[in-house]
Amino acid sequence: MMQPIDKVIFGDNQFFGINHMSQEKAQQLAEKFFDNPSIFNVYRMAFDSGIRAIMLNSNDRAKDICEHFTSNKTDYPEISWYPSIPYPHKYANLISEKGIVPTLNEVLFKNNSALGVLGMITKGSAAVLGKDAIKLMKMLIDIEMKMFKGLNAKVIFLQNIITDLLLGFGVKEIFQEYCYYIEKKYKALPGLITQNMPFLKSKLEEWEIEGVVICSSFNKIGYLMSPDMESYISAVKANDPSKYQLMAMSTLASGAIPSKEAYEFINRQNIQSVVFGASSKKHIDETVSLIDI
Amino acid sequence: MADSKIKLAIIGMGRMGITHYSIINSHPDIQITAVADTSSLVLNLIKKYLKGTNTYSDYNKLFENESLDAIIVCTPPTLHYPIAQEAAQRGIHVFSEKPFTTDNQKAGELAELFSQKKLTNQVGYVNRFNDIFKTVKQYIEDDVIGNIIRFKSEMYSRTITKSEDGNTWRDSRENGGGAVYEVASHAIDLVNFLIGKPDKVTGSSLTNIFSKNVEDAVNATFLFENGTSGTLNVNWSDESFRKPTNKIEIFGSKGKILADQHGIKIFMKNACPEKNLRVGWNTLYITDVFQPVPFYVRGNEFTAQLYHFVECINDKKIENKCTFSNAKDTLDIIQAIFNDYELNGKF
Repeated sequence: MMQPIDKVIFGDNQFFGINHMSQEKAQQLAEKFFDNPSIFNVYRMAFDSGIRAIMLNSNDRAKDICEHFTSNKTDYPEISWYPSIPYPHKYANLISEKGIVPTLNEVLFKNNSALGVLGMITKGSAAVLGKDAIKLMKMLIDIEMKMFKGLNAKVIFLQNIITDLLLGFGVKEIFQEYCYYIEKKYKALPGLITQNMPFLKSKLEEWEIEGVVICSSFNKIGYLMSPDMESYISAVKANDPSKYQLMAMSTLASGAIPSKEAYEFINRQNIQSVVFGASSKKHIDETVSLIDI
Repeated sequence: MADSKIKLAIIGMGRMGITHYSIINSHPDIQITAVADTSSLVLNLIKKYLKGTNTYSDYNKLFENESLDAIIVCTPPTLHYPIAQEAAQRGIHVFSEKPFTTDNQKAGELAELFSQKKLTNQVGYVNRFNDIFKTVKQYIEDDVIGNIIRFKSEMYSRTITKSEDGNTWRDSRENGGGAVYEVASHAIDLVNFLIGKPDKVTGSSLTNIFSKNVEDAVNATFLFENGTSGTLNVNWSDESFRKPTNKIEIFGSKGKILADQHGIKIFMKNACPEKNLRVGWNTLYITDVFQPVPFYVRGNEFTAQLYHFVECINDKKIENKCTFSNAKDTLDIIQAIFNDYELNGKF
């Protein structure tokens, strides 16, 4: 039996200029949250409406947010954290610019002090690690998780571009070792974010990997839900939450669905949790009152 | 039946090769039998974790040892020509990453060769498979905005944001590096796709921002014999963009379209009830027009283009949406920009 996850989790896309529907909206949000205090204000609104769980992607600005919450713990209620790692565009840009091996060298070895003994390995060692993807993965997890130190991480998610890329390769060991490492080292539940939930879930079942939180887009119009709505509906219906807890994201499809309509649909599904982002008190309160799963 | 599957290899397992592997591996008709790359790290990982995939550090050996139906080519662009030629001799279908080759003459040769041999040939101009740009194309074909008078095609990204040593293929034009080949090619292809191939290029300027040996930004003006004209504005060192973004603005006799990968704003002089468009401004988001794909990794368009490649291999009657010949047209314009800049763009 898995430890139950929070029903309502506060997401972070709104803070970092991410909107899958409109770049103009994304830019407006980026401007609104240009400084950290404006982000903390919105978190306070979320706590006021009863939310006690935060999902946060390990991008550059997340570091400051984590630092704020670790050093001001007494100012806030007890919060459960749902980190998602890594911030894929950081790696994508580095790889475009330099190639794969130099990117790994830079990420793994540039900041030697961060890695203690491993940092002693000479530059160029990424190639040596190529024989052991599992070790490489564990090192990358530790680097991404460093900023969350001191916070209570309940689930640690692999970001969807990485999950789905690996899912396409179909390597059981990578998923197995990820889940095992997250449980063992971080005493957290392993989480996988995906845009291919039915396929991922069937692969996990085939590989007998259980006790995983699966987070995926889930909305009335089928946006970012591959292969199609029907497969989602039947996968969710058949799910046993003691093996896989399901979390819905993009419930409003980036704003394409009015919230009332969106949650009427969501509330009918056999899911355990919803992650949503909002930037005003009105929207936060409204969403919290609409979610009834 | 495993035997009836299309046997496919990927040559070049960098960022795009890895993405394509993941996507095409999900296709029920495809069996990936081999990959080639020069990185021992990448080959070691594949050897260890993907047991059914043979690995090669030399693509010639791959051709010699494997019996293949199709390949995906994601090497530096300068290698695309010899690889595609070898594939054609062996009767292998080819999906090549953009900008296809770095030489428009050679691109023309390959287009001719593949068409003669009736082999499926496709280039990775992924915007042609984006649901928004597909909708824009449909609007233009259905005469929604009338005759095209002027346009702008822009692309911005934060690909190169620091000065570099200049020792990778990306910092050499001969090898296919630079903002024109890597980024502007998408914006030019979008012009060819939506409006047509320009007849003349003028007013080209290339700017170095961080790179030593190649340009980081490019501007040009495109002229058409029918009077249409437009501009190109591309910068791959623009940190104000979180993700690579294409923007297109098309001014027509009946209205105007503004579009990027995520949405369309369309201004109509008169209503168009068949398309559900009012007089004045209308907005369509990607959420209004998207077509779900069977397996999603990096955006619907990346899956849609590879599944289209397979579809064309399976059914020769289907016309490919982004052929070598289409890519040759883009290279013609690229060559014209370089020539115009050399002749007229310097003091």
